[in-house]
Amino acid sequence: MRIYGRMAALALLSVALLTVTSLGVLAQEPVTIEWWTVASEEFDEEVQRALVEKFNSEHTDVQVNMTLLPSSGYDERMQTTLGAGQGAPDVALFWITNWYPQALDLTELIENDPDIDPDMYLPGFWNTRVVWEDKIIGLPLGVGANFVMYNKDMFDAAGVEYPDPDWTPEDYNRLVAELANAEQRVWGGDRPRGPYRAIWYNMGARLYADDSSTTEGYLNSPESVAAYQWLWDLVNTNGTPTPADLEVLGTEGTGPVDLFLADRLAMATLNQGHMLNAMAEGKNFGIVPEPHIPGNTRHVNAWSLTASIWAGTEHPEAAWKWLKYWAGPEGQRFLMENGNLIPSIPSVLEEWEGAETEYGQAFLDVLELEQVAAWDNEHPCKATVLRAVEDIWDLINLNQIAREDIPATLDGLVPAADAALQECVGRLGG
Amino acid sequence: MATATWRTAKPQARREAIEGYISLLPWMIGFVGFTAIPLAASVYLGFTQWNIIEPPQWIGLDNYVRMFTRDPLFWQALKVTLGFVALSLPLKLVFGLGLALLLNLKIPGMNFFRTVFYIPAVISGVAVSLMWMWLLQPDTGVVNTMLYFLGIQGPNWFWDPNWALPSVAMMSVWKVGGSAVIYLAGLQNIPAHLYEAAQIDGAGRWARFWRITLPLLTPTLFFQLIIEMIDSFKVFTEAFVITQGGPLKATYFYLLYFYEEAFQNFNMGYASALALVLTIIILLATVFVNYTSKRWVFYESE
Repeated sequence: MRIYGRMAALALLSVALLTVTSLGVLAQEPVTIEWWTVASEEFDEEVQRALVEKFNSEHTDVQVNMTLLPSSGYDERMQTTLGAGQGAPDVALFWITNWYPQALDLTELIENDPDIDPDMYLPGFWNTRVVWEDKIIGLPLGVGANFVMYNKDMFDAAGVEYPDPDWTPEDYNRLVAELANAEQRVWGGDRPRGPYRAIWYNMGARLYADDSSTTEGYLNSPESVAAYQWLWDLVNTNGTPTPADLEVLGTEGTGPVDLFLADRLAMATLNQGHMLNAMAEGKNFGIVPEPHIPGNTRHVNAWSLTASIWAGTEHPEAAWKWLKYWAGPEGQRFLMENGNLIPSIPSVLEEWEGAETEYGQAFLDVLELEQVAAWDNEHPCKATVLRAVEDIWDLINLNQIAREDIPATLDGLVPAADAALQECVGRLGG
Repeated sequence: MATATWRTAKPQARREAIEGYISLLPWMIGFVGFTAIPLAASVYLGFTQWNIIEPPQWIGLDNYVRMFTRDPLFWQALKVTLGFVALSLPLKLVFGLGLALLLNLKIPGMNFFRTVFYIPAVISGVAVSLMWMWLLQPDTGVVNTMLYFLGIQGPNWFWDPNWALPSVAMMSVWKVGGSAVIYLAGLQNIPAHLYEAAQIDGAGRWARFWRITLPLLTPTLFFQLIIEMIDSFKVFTEAFVITQGGPLKATYFYLLYFYEEAFQNFNMGYASALALVLTIIILLATVFVNYTSKRWVFYESE
């Protein structure tokens, strides 16, 4: 009898356990995803919290916990948690290349998900921002680009014709000289903020060989010499603000928008955020791509945010649900309608209220150009090499070099540039 | 006299020892966690290649070989930093002492002046840098505007390779209010009867300063010399905010180079080696100053 009693007790216990387990399954807690983000001109804290609230109300199985970090501390926090291999968020902006190895490869998730298709994104941004070493390490969120904004009122006052979108670097210098007016403390146009960006590429200049073997024949190529001499010509128009002027009078750090909005700078290389500012202030302006040499591939300095899942996440499926919502059509539309995001998805971009305006059309045309990042991403030693050769940039900006000395100076910088290149290539494992 | 060991110590002494160690524990934990371990880790990392994200790879002395034999930026950064130390350190010591002597005068409202001159020492380095950038702007800055009214063509300050380093040194002098307070404490510790005796003997102001004030202030000067020297070696904010190391690398300070390697190139192994070399340089300089101090620092008890 005793054995039957024990068996009965065991059976009862099993039934009880099964019941508790089933109830647990039925009332399963939703998975909570940690999401780190920052506030920006495109999306402030309020609009991001509203997006999270919307997502959380529409999803019972996944809940997002948003942590808004100050922009200044975001990099350090990401870097340390990714380096430590613990404590990193499930989903975040991976905007530093060094973090890419820690991003989850989304290839399989995308292949198995009918909602997300690489072709739905603008190809230039997909290729430069989320494809890394044959892996897909994120989704491109929003778009941004540099272009030249020109102040039509200042052109009209000076009796100068507006720039043609097909203009050349020489056209730019000519217009700067024509528009500058020292008496009225007005400048014709700004200077580029560094070499080997859009204008350099538009002139056919490259910093070093495609196989990263040498700078000889690249840094000192006729195209590079021409680009540096173009800068020299620009500086010597005396129609541009000096680096000291730009440092003190331009508070944005991303371009001299203040001078442009104050009608003291007729042309400035700015971005879509500045364009929205100018529209809000009712400025009478136009947009053209940065100048180029006809026949060369035309480039744009453009960017998008890489929204990624941390490879160490314990909830990849849940993280994917949030990521594709945030950086997919639904999230980008929400951030566009409630914030200032310009989406990286053409079908959503069509709904952008600025798309039909003259500015919007010009901006969308710029987005079609070859991206500076396409070359830069393939050549990660660019910054290291540029640092080794930045003296010539300073010499030209300080007006301390003769135009005819530029080719020899570039020749002389090749050994230092090559040494920097070899060190970097070796460090990055070839 | 033999020291009592733990076994032979009386219970009272043991209890006191335990209490002492417990009191020390918070500091010990802090020191080990935030100083000793990072320092040891930094020494180890100096022999590796490490980008933070992936595990460090041991490369032996490669970082140091590169630094001393084929890295022109290292030598440039070192040269600029030593130049800054040589330029700013005497200025800071002299102006700090001069200001302290002024703030030691017995005139009404002195506490107000002491507060005013101390304020720059507590303002954030970034804010100070931005303010000086505005003040020294060549075309529209206050300084050059005032010079213009005096008929003087002001230089381009931070934007001139010959003036950039002196400009940063000038900025550092503006913050001497902090060190003046230390000098002031030293000045006020000098016994008044020494001055009274000297005055009775007919010593003038200059003789009193030279024979009494300065010798008795040498311990404070010694302390300030060490502190200001270390501070000068660590100059960073001004270059980071205003000049970014330029123009023509005239303000390419050691810590700016370190920062670029560590947090822009993520070359943490090399940056650790740079940090260790700077630590050794500062240590050697401090040891040298300490060694020479026997000849010029006088303590009242001596």
